[in-house]
Amino acid sequence: MKTKDKKPFLNMDERNKQVAYRIISIMYFLTILSMQAIVLYRQFALGQELRDFEDIAIIMTVNSLFLISALLYFGAIPIRRLKIKSILLIYALLVTLGSIFTYAKYKLFTNAELSFRQLFDKLIAVYAITGIIMLFFILFSILGKRKMEKELE
Amino acid sequence: MENIKLKIARVEKGLSQQELADLCEVTRQTIGLVEKGKYNPTLNLCIKIATVLDKTLNDLFWDENKR
Repeated sequence: MKTKDKKPFLNMDERNKQVAYRIISIMYFLTILSMQAIVLYRQFALGQELRDFEDIAIIMTVNSLFLISALLYFGAIPIRRLKIKSILLIYALLVTLGSIFTYAKYKLFTNAELSFRQLFDKLIAVYAITGIIMLFFILFSILGKRKMEKELE
Repeated sequence: MENIKLKIARVEKGLSQQELADLCEVTRQTIGLVEKGKYNPTLNLCIKIATVLDKTLNDLFWDENKR
């Protein structure tokens, strides 16, 4: 039997691809980890301003958001049913982390003289952005689930 | 665990690892690793190998002792 489903990429067979995917995943993880280390090094060792490495932070954020969305859409993260309780719990966790980072960013690492009102405005932005991100994740999970169900029909 | 059944079936058919690999559209290393039991092939590859060697999946990949 000689079946040719797809044109082979670089003459790779299934094992070659599996090994390549594994190495690519590890390297991706190490790259993200290195970027995080660079951010910390720049911030604490070199004493650079936050705006000096905002580009790296943006790349890391966008990358992570795309990664999680893709994992949800293609069914890599098993979700049987979307429960409001779990969603709220994750939202609360993200909001707490976001609040801690925002507080640390403006109160500990910069000399910005922020009033309570200004800090509150920043925190509101964190809550809103986190909410939007969560909505996107939920949307991708639903779309992914629908796609999967359609394929199973 | 080494897959002796596969090795025997291949030799009985008069095929080298390279020839079997070419017929299954994989590399010789992949066939070698399947025979050595160091790579778990996908079901698609198992079916390809079984078809090329005129055997069933049970003949090549089923271990009665493991049941």
